[in-house]
Amino acid sequence: MAVLKAENVEAAMLKGGPCNVDVEVAARFAAGDAVMVRNLNPAGHTRAPRYIRGRRGEIARDYGVFIFPDSNAMGQGKAPQHLYSIRFEATEIWGADAPAREAVYLDLWDSYLESA
Amino acid sequence: MNGAHDMGGMDGFGPVEREVDEPIFHAEWERRAFALTVAMGFYGLWNIDKSRYARENRDPLGYLADSYYERWLYGLEVLLEENGLVSRDEIAARMAELAEGDG
Repeated sequence: MAVLKAENVEAAMLKGGPCNVDVEVAARFAAGDAVMVRNLNPAGHTRAPRYIRGRRGEIARDYGVFIFPDSNAMGQGKAPQHLYSIRFEATEIWGADAPAREAVYLDLWDSYLESA
Repeated sequence: MNGAHDMGGMDGFGPVEREVDEPIFHAEWERRAFALTVAMGFYGLWNIDKSRYARENRDPLGYLADSYYERWLYGLEVLLEENGLVSRDEIAARMAELAEGDG
């Protein structure tokens, strides 16, 4: 077990805990793709908020390959996969009365998504 | 999990109130709760995703009533017990000692 010593705290905090993984994984989507968030309701940990499930958006950016929290949190391994920034129209999330010119961007993992 | 922590879109919490010149920690115990959590994370017995799940995996009333670092402390206690390091009984016994002035 690693022990964090007082003299190493500053260096450790500056280093942080990066979550990207240096491995080649195929991306299922690319910027511009239309996607829909799967209606997943896991009992364990997830980073897909309830309000975005089943909603349709567009891939804005591919951040690369990252640890998948849903798996990592439950002791099922890192399951590295692509993480995307996805743009959703406010009206898509909150309904027709939402501001017409607003959008929400969420960072969501590849396995949350399907083609729309 | 569909817990209370997943509060995007929920109504009734009121406006976000920004505290002017907010200190990093509002009390010394918060500083220690943060330090303990980070130091214990270094042991490598769990990961950040497990620590987040430990904080959120509880009844909604308990979660919503806690302050930010109270939630961190709750999660740390869960992880310590799950990993066989400190049990809830030991924590309760120590709290009883402190309450009786046997610090």
